[in-house]
Amino acid sequence: MAKEIFMPKLSSTMEVGTLLQWFKEEGDSVEMGEPLFEIMTDKINIEVESYEEGVLLKKYFNVDDEVEVNACIGYIGEAGEKVSDTPPATEAEADSGEKVQDDSSVETAGKTVGANADSYENKDGKVRATPAARRVSRENDISLSAISGSGPNGRVHQHDVEQAIAGGVLAVTPLAEKIAADHGVDLSQITGTGARGKIEKQDVLSYLESVNMSDQETAAFPAERIKLKGLRKAVADKMVESVQTIPHVTLTSDVDMTNVIALRKSLLPIVEKETGYRLSFTEVIIKAAASALCKHPQLNASLIGEEIVMNKEVNIGLAVAVENGLIVPSIKNVNQKGLVKLTQISKELGKKARENKLKPEEMRGSTFTISNLGMYAIDAFTPIINGPETAILGVGRITEKAVAVDGELAVRPMMVLSLSFDHRAVDGAPAAAFLTDLKANLENPYSLLV
Amino acid sequence: MTNFDVAIIGGGPGGYVSAIRAAKLGLSVALVEGRELGGTCLNRGCIPSKTLLKNAEVINQVKDSKKFGIQIDSFSFDLDAMVERKNQVIGQLRNGINSLLITNKIKLYNGYGTVDNQKVITVEIGEETEKLEAESIILANGSKPFVPNLPGLSNVPYHTSDTVFDIEEVPGHLTIIGGGVIGLEIACIFQSMGTKVEIIEMADRIIPSEDKEAADFLAKELKSKGIVIHTSTKVLSFKKNEKTNVQIEKNGKETSLETDSVLISVGREPNLAGLDNLSVNYEGKFVKVDESMQTAIKGIYAIGDLIGGYQLAHAASEEGIRAVDHILGENHKKDFIMPRCIYTFPEIASVGMTEEQAEAKGYQVKSQKVDLTANGKGIASSENNGFMKIISEKKYGEILGVVMAGAHVTEMVSQATSFMYLEGTMEELEDMVFPHPTLSEAMFEAAAKWLDKGIHY
Repeated sequence: MAKEIFMPKLSSTMEVGTLLQWFKEEGDSVEMGEPLFEIMTDKINIEVESYEEGVLLKKYFNVDDEVEVNACIGYIGEAGEKVSDTPPATEAEADSGEKVQDDSSVETAGKTVGANADSYENKDGKVRATPAARRVSRENDISLSAISGSGPNGRVHQHDVEQAIAGGVLAVTPLAEKIAADHGVDLSQITGTGARGKIEKQDVLSYLESVNMSDQETAAFPAERIKLKGLRKAVADKMVESVQTIPHVTLTSDVDMTNVIALRKSLLPIVEKETGYRLSFTEVIIKAAASALCKHPQLNASLIGEEIVMNKEVNIGLAVAVENGLIVPSIKNVNQKGLVKLTQISKELGKKARENKLKPEEMRGSTFTISNLGMYAIDAFTPIINGPETAILGVGRITEKAVAVDGELAVRPMMVLSLSFDHRAVDGAPAAAFLTDLKANLENPYSLLV
Repeated sequence: MTNFDVAIIGGGPGGYVSAIRAAKLGLSVALVEGRELGGTCLNRGCIPSKTLLKNAEVINQVKDSKKFGIQIDSFSFDLDAMVERKNQVIGQLRNGINSLLITNKIKLYNGYGTVDNQKVITVEIGEETEKLEAESIILANGSKPFVPNLPGLSNVPYHTSDTVFDIEEVPGHLTIIGGGVIGLEIACIFQSMGTKVEIIEMADRIIPSEDKEAADFLAKELKSKGIVIHTSTKVLSFKKNEKTNVQIEKNGKETSLETDSVLISVGREPNLAGLDNLSVNYEGKFVKVDESMQTAIKGIYAIGDLIGGYQLAHAASEEGIRAVDHILGENHKKDFIMPRCIYTFPEIASVGMTEEQAEAKGYQVKSQKVDLTANGKGIASSENNGFMKIISEKKYGEILGVVMAGAHVTEMVSQATSFMYLEGTMEELEDMVFPHPTLSEAMFEAAAKWLDKGIHY
């Protein structure tokens, strides 16, 4: 019997997916684990693999069509089987038992800097892999970490595992292996030039030579080498992607924090009594930013493919430094929450982040990010946008400065805000208007009550 | 004017192999050869010498039969029949090449070609000339015996390897000028036929480019057969008497020797015919090429004896294949791992570096030599004369070179070449299973001994 192919629901906020391409045509045979189609959500592009084996009988949607989550977009079955010419009606929440494709593959792949999801989802280390790939690797007792994935961001697909099994994990000559071991070189870093990519002596020597260009092995204190992996690698990839694809512009503005300090002072005991946590400037800034974002929705938008997605929710991601990286838990619907709730959520998320206990949904869905370096002697900086968001706010320290107030020299607690925005989605004027409003919100925090 | 993707000058082992490879990879190919297909190797070199060496080996076995309990009271041989067999062998192989050219649709031009910088080749076919043009040209002109300008040489009859394999009479006494590979193999042929052979070598040992232990071993073996070897000896002049008188100088002392026949085998020089109009560069007498075999002119390649180097048939073939690969856009960076074979009795085969070369390259060398004296198969077949030596680097057990001396070693050297090519080390060589009884077991013994785990050593 023909099985439906559904538009997967990739995140709690996902309502529709845009079909980017079909990898198969009607009548093509499909293997389990083979990529079937690619979709785009408000966060990522993702290849969806088939969870069934058979023939692709029907495609109800074409490239660029927007399809509701859980809608049937096609059928897989046996050759010649008849299926309806029009897609069946969507069930509100389709029964997951009937799903042809595998959502969890998508969950793992949905990882962004903020979503270090699979680090605790699999025991194979922090390797991105599809469930089909995991199954095959498990059945063949082969470690996923030894396989280089061909999918997006190095995700390991079933065929990568099969190839690794067929060709040996790494083809290397005995001599090359010895030399690599002697120099502590990770063979997976080396491209082999021998038959079928076999790593030979010269490949190892060339690699060593290239490495030695950047440091002097002859030095008395040779540098320690740390392989870019796991969260560090995810952060690295995300940063490069952001900087290379997004034209960043950073605006800065001085904010007089006198009134925020007063506000915080009066609210501290109240919030502490309610939550047990101390209200910090971060929560006030989050609140002020949410208010400004509501007025300037362009800064709360996401740029995905050729579309600017105007997000209705204001979910603010909070960059948290953790060991060996940076993760961004997201506070949902900030505009609907008061400082008590915000303090509680922000403190809890920060703690979970540092303990590596965040749930995937707690790391997804942010529409704007705040990065606070105020605890350091930093005034302004140029934060990198957490794509597909269109802006990020960098927060500097509060420090007393001499400023002119009403024609008089005064000492005021000043703070610099640095706003980076994606110039593809937002122009200078609206970004400046947002930052001006945010500054006004903070200099007159009581306006937030209005 | 006919146009080709590749035109190749010379139909020897460099040229015809390149032609077939180029054709197999889809190129249109012309092959220009003024003489017989197969070049020096097939017609005046490797193949005729191996054919006559087989005759010599049979003669030696007959002479040795007594020690196997076989009594052969008298025997004789027919030199004409031997030369005839040699010509049949050549004919068969030459026909083979010809049909390979036809199968691969290679256009053969039977004439000498002259090449110009515009990659136009003018071929003289009888009275006619024909012009052809090619995108790329591979020069595989080969070489000819080098005959030094020695006083009196033009007044005496002498052979080179070009003529000696068609000799009509077995000489009573043969003086070989040059103790290199060619001279030594010819010495073995005639020694077995009863000729008194004297070898004159200018260097302090025979086969000076090969491993010293192998050279010394071979010298000792040849001397024990009655071959006289003069090393550090210079030929001064030749005089025509009833016989030929050869004036030599050794350690500052001048002497002379009488001989029936002289063979000049002091080396080979490149055949530069037809290259006058080409602005290629030269290195000494030889055409200069880069690591892809390309000359100074883009699209014109040179291979084989024309560029000097190994001066071996299989080197020429491999260089030709490398040139074809480069024409098709592929770049090899790897150095050749070139086996070298000497088909004397006993044979010498080697691959990679000698100890001296390895040390000069800065390796921490650790060699292990194992004698064949106690080898089971060797003793059983009375072929336990010789050794195998592995030249290895200390740290990783990388095999840098292997030298083998003894019976059948030319057939065993490829085992060593495989190990080196596939980058196996001493540990794998020791771990690998060798069949018993074989001569090749000595490779295992050498590796085991190297690791201080030797069984019989």
